[in-house]
Amino acid sequence: MSVEERVKKIVIQQLKAREDEATSEARFVQDLGAESIDSIELMAAFEAEFDIEIPPEEGERIQTVGEAVEYIEKKLKEKDFSYKD
Amino acid sequence: MKICIFEDEGYENLYPISLTRPIFELKCGQVTLRERILRNFPGVYVSYFLRDYLATVFSQGKKEVSVNEMEALKREDVLFINGRWLLSKGELSLTGEEEVGICGEETLYLRATTKTIKDCFCLNFREFIDSLKQKLKKKEVKARMITYPWDLIDNNCWALEEDFEFRVKEGIQGKLPSSATIYGEKDRVFIAKSATIQPLVLLDSTKGSIYIDEEAIVFGHSHIKGPSYIGKKSQILGANIGEGISIGPLCRVGGEVEETIIHGFTNKAHRGFLGHSYLGEWINIGALCTNSDIKNDYSTVQVYVKGEFMDSEATKVGSFIGDHTKLGIGCLLNTGTVIGVGGNIVTAGKVLPKFIPSFTWYLNGKFYKGYGLKQIIETAKVVMSRRKVTTSSEEVKVLEEAFKITKKEREKLIEKSKR
Repeated sequence: MSVEERVKKIVIQQLKAREDEATSEARFVQDLGAESIDSIELMAAFEAEFDIEIPPEEGERIQTVGEAVEYIEKKLKEKDFSYKD
Repeated sequence: MKICIFEDEGYENLYPISLTRPIFELKCGQVTLRERILRNFPGVYVSYFLRDYLATVFSQGKKEVSVNEMEALKREDVLFINGRWLLSKGELSLTGEEEVGICGEETLYLRATTKTIKDCFCLNFREFIDSLKQKLKKKEVKARMITYPWDLIDNNCWALEEDFEFRVKEGIQGKLPSSATIYGEKDRVFIAKSATIQPLVLLDSTKGSIYIDEEAIVFGHSHIKGPSYIGKKSQILGANIGEGISIGPLCRVGGEVEETIIHGFTNKAHRGFLGHSYLGEWINIGALCTNSDIKNDYSTVQVYVKGEFMDSEATKVGSFIGDHTKLGIGCLLNTGTVIGVGGNIVTAGKVLPKFIPSFTWYLNGKFYKGYGLKQIIETAKVVMSRRKVTTSSEEVKVLEEAFKITKKEREKLIEKSKR
């Protein structure tokens, strides 16, 4: 599965969203009804799924599904690079 | 002769309530351990020794005291007093022989002349005290020492009675409506002049004194048993207040509370039981939160102390909660639960774990880092500004240091939750 597919799967599970709601443009709070608690759980689920660390101040800036995908792909590249390094 | 009140290494046993304040700023009865010591020595110059990161906040607003200044100890004879000593009236005199007072393994006080101080002097306070201990003759003394958080609760009824005797000069100064009742001796009740007692309040002094301080409001249908202390500007919202209660200042308390100490600005405004517990400042306890203070099998209670669960050897132990922690509605706290500073707790109806580290979000059965320290500080500022209190940069630094101290235990549980 691609990063995007895995992110969407988590969003659907965590926020009890329908598949057609979890679009790249979907905003966690306004469109998918995430409370602050849900957002914390969502970020933790991304961390566990991709084995990455999302600092709270960076997590706060991730507001859409697309932004999450973009952020995680960047993080994974950095991780991959640091392994090779 | 001057006195020096000091923290010893025992502060860690009193986490999380000692994480953001010196041990001698913990409360028992109406006052802090420090105030209890000081009232035995009116007008005497005082030095303090405490953890460095707490020194600036502690020093604020205190005139003519020295804090963590070793050189200040050299100038005259000194009576050093352990800040964990719950000192009773007349238990220790300023003058007397050079000696070290001990209670089991604990050092209670050291009385030393300038000459001895100079002989043992070194710039590290702990080493200096150890050196004095070696030199001075020992005297075994019985004392009430605060070693663990539950010691404060166990001694609270005694302390409340001593404080009542110490403070009360006249009887009821405030107004008592005709439908409010004092059940028991009237001279065991003090109502400050600016306090408000609404109709249909029952003040039961049959088992102990009741002290209602300035500008406190006791709303109708409240039932207060003595010994108890309702601090300045606190509000009792139709609550059932059992014996052994210290509240305030500026707290709002409802529901059922017994054998509990609550620092200033903390709210437990709604229904729910709280017993044998110690709460720091700026805590909010949501509606219907309830704690257990006794186990179903009446066995002794295990409590998290210094990284592990230890047997308190007590059967009645409640919860210990650090400053700025918020409990959402309906939290159920197990017997002997410890929740750190700056926590955010939301449950899905299950009993909480018995230890939740500082600055952790506990949501629906898992530990999270939440939005981090920055957001916790922002929330603290909002909460404090609602009561017209400004958060100083020094107070922020205390929280930052507390965050660092508790990092390991927090990260361990957050990592475990990810698995």
